[in-house]
Amino acid sequence: MDAVSAGDIWRRVQDAWAMLGMGPRHRVRPDRVRITAPEGSRELRDLRREGFVEEALPYLDAVYPFALRLTRGDQDAADDLVQETFVNAYRSWHTFERGTNARSWLFTICRNAFLKAHDKTAAKREVSASTLNSSIDALGGVTAFADEPMDPEGAFFHEALDDEVVQAIDSLPEEFREVLVLSDLGDLKYAEIAHVLALPIGTVKSRLFRARRLLQERLLVFAQEAGYIKTGPTRPGRKHDSV
Amino acid sequence: MIRCEEALERLWEFLDGELEPANETEVQRHLEVCSRCYPRYDFQRAYFELMHRIRERDGVPQKLRRRIFERILEEEAASGSGNGADGVA
Repeated sequence: MDAVSAGDIWRRVQDAWAMLGMGPRHRVRPDRVRITAPEGSRELRDLRREGFVEEALPYLDAVYPFALRLTRGDQDAADDLVQETFVNAYRSWHTFERGTNARSWLFTICRNAFLKAHDKTAAKREVSASTLNSSIDALGGVTAFADEPMDPEGAFFHEALDDEVVQAIDSLPEEFREVLVLSDLGDLKYAEIAHVLALPIGTVKSRLFRARRLLQERLLVFAQEAGYIKTGPTRPGRKHDSV
Repeated sequence: MIRCEEALERLWEFLDGELEPANETEVQRHLEVCSRCYPRYDFQRAYFELMHRIRERDGVPQKLRRRIFERILEEEAASGSGNGADGVA
């Protein structure tokens, strides 16, 4: 067993500070350190941990809402999923190419862990794809704007109860929910989402826009039922006239 | 000046910051002068604000942060006490 030096303890304290969003952050970036330590040495482990804390852990805040929506709001399941994501990522950290996109890499690990846990069979996928296609057909075109805004400033978005919004997101078909959460809650760019889902960017865009339309349509129904909007929601997808 | 239809087709990409600079400028200029499209822009901006609110609401519990960091230290200790090789998930 290695003896723990004051230097080790200090480095761990710094990492814990970084992890918990506290304390000074004046550290040398590990990717700028020339690694000369032998494989398996304590020094190399320190560098690996420091690199992970600095490059991967900041994305915990982005991955968590994604996990929470994947598990449809089951907080315990989301906690376990996020923990598994980051432990898996740490185990594989030596395979990660420094300076590339850690964020989309982590989302990919999270999604894979979720899919693995839920044993996505081909049959389930087939049903899901069929549901998705029906939903897309029902929605019509890609862009989603009511002919005449019933609520031009989107005031009802400010009035909407968080629980209703979350419920509406969770009720989306999985393929829509996934892309919407990656974009609108995870703040990923189209190219990053394409990487996570292994889809062409064009597919990501069309799926995302349809997901937003579907969600907004459901929120409009909530708004109507709550009395924020007096008239019924205009059918999205109809072409409006150019000026 | 682009037409309303073109501006609205690109509106989400505009809000997502995914348009090329030239296209972004075209949409921006259209929105500045079009009384029909601006409300739709406002509407979608409100939607993005709502998503931001939901994102903030779903903050990472502090106990989970601690748990993950503890697990990483455990993994590190395990890799140090074993054969020195990292396990791959």
